[in-house]
Amino acid sequence: MSNRKDDAFHIDVVDVGCATSSSDKTLLESLETANIEIHFHCREGFCGACRTQLIEGEVDYTTDPLAYINDDEILPCCCIAKSNLKIKVPL
Amino acid sequence: MKYTTFNQKIVNPLAEPMFFGNPVNVARYDQQKHDIFEKLIEKQISFFWRPEEVDVSRDRVDFQKLTDPEKHIFISNLKYQTLLDSVQGRSPNIAMLPIVSLPELETWIETWSFFETIHSRSYTHILRNLFSDPSSVFDDIVANEEIKRRATDISRYYDDLIFATQLWQTQGEGVHTVNGETHEITMRELKKKLYLCMNSVNALEAIRFYVSFACTFAFAERKLMEGNSKIIRLIARDENLHLTSTQHILNIWAKGKDDPEMAEIAQECKEEATAIFLTAVEQEKGWADYLFQHGSMIGLNKDILCQYVEYIAVQRMSAIGLEAPFSVKSNPLPWMNNYLNSDNVQVAPQESEISSYLVGQIDSSVSGDDFADMEI
Repeated sequence: MSNRKDDAFHIDVVDVGCATSSSDKTLLESLETANIEIHFHCREGFCGACRTQLIEGEVDYTTDPLAYINDDEILPCCCIAKSNLKIKVPL
Repeated sequence: MKYTTFNQKIVNPLAEPMFFGNPVNVARYDQQKHDIFEKLIEKQISFFWRPEEVDVSRDRVDFQKLTDPEKHIFISNLKYQTLLDSVQGRSPNIAMLPIVSLPELETWIETWSFFETIHSRSYTHILRNLFSDPSSVFDDIVANEEIKRRATDISRYYDDLIFATQLWQTQGEGVHTVNGETHEITMRELKKKLYLCMNSVNALEAIRFYVSFACTFAFAERKLMEGNSKIIRLIARDENLHLTSTQHILNIWAKGKDDPEMAEIAQECKEEATAIFLTAVEQEKGWADYLFQHGSMIGLNKDILCQYVEYIAVQRMSAIGLEAPFSVKSNPLPWMNNYLNSDNVQVAPQESEISSYLVGQIDSSVSGDDFADMEI
């Protein structure tokens, strides 16, 4: 299932590089696989350490994010990509 | 406005602000103005733990092996955390419950404070195991100059708000003289005090705990004081959730999603709020200095700890729209994340020394796919 082409999306991380998503991994895990450094603590959506700006694309949450995020932000630790993404991680 | 424990006036809780509206009457959660607080309550309750579940008996042996400077670091941090949780176990209740106006937020505050009391009890659990009589450690918390200096700053904003609220609830708005001192009580001033207090609480849970967390986890990296580290990990997870709640409150205000006057105050007090954070950062760096005054410990020194404080401050301040004047980009203590990751907190239920799981939790969501391989 996870290797199916239609659920692997391209993730463009502005000024850093790119990664490929897969539906069996959270966005955070996909970014880590691609060696993109990203802040994290709880990995469960309640601390907000991985707060990331979503410039283009759509994500699906695997658990309800509890941490505060702005309308243009996502929590990579508890979401998966639904389309190609363009994101900006805080440096 | 006089406080009443059951306000008999019919009010619409959906139209009330978070604070300084009508006192809450019915504790109902069928309709919510800000449903995030109920989600936080549920999450917090799912984290429930008891200090006694964690076996700290090995720590006594480890403690004897520590050098004197390391013992100083370990005990001082426990003292400081005891102070922080003593304040947090009571102050949100005393300062915020008399002025809260939403049932879900009222219950969140009570749940939050309750967990701080678990933390307080866990420090006694740890210290009882290390010393046959831990009273000298506790006694020093109110005598130690380094701790007292921090206590003053931590409790100041709470005390200010509590006193002003008491005057307002007994005498109303106006100029009041108490023991020869005049106090001008206006709603605007009360709200300002609340705003600053919330920032101070946020800074406490965002920054103040982290120097001692880092020391605890640095011991654990060397396989020392692991019982203590397990407890601190549970505490860190709770504190992260509490931090999320005050970030929500501050952002709800700032974005004008609650009381419009609070949005103005958030603008007006931005500099003061920043100053509260920067003072906390400076005091934590001073604390690192005090901890390492007799010598450092393996894996950690004052400089790297100060960098970590700055690193964490940048993140925490940006979460509530404040700018931090620090340039630390990457995490100076990457191993800290292993201890702050909640996956690592949840271990198998059969491991009796720690239990952090939901008993009898049932997943009742059924999708069409679940019947895919069924034949009639």
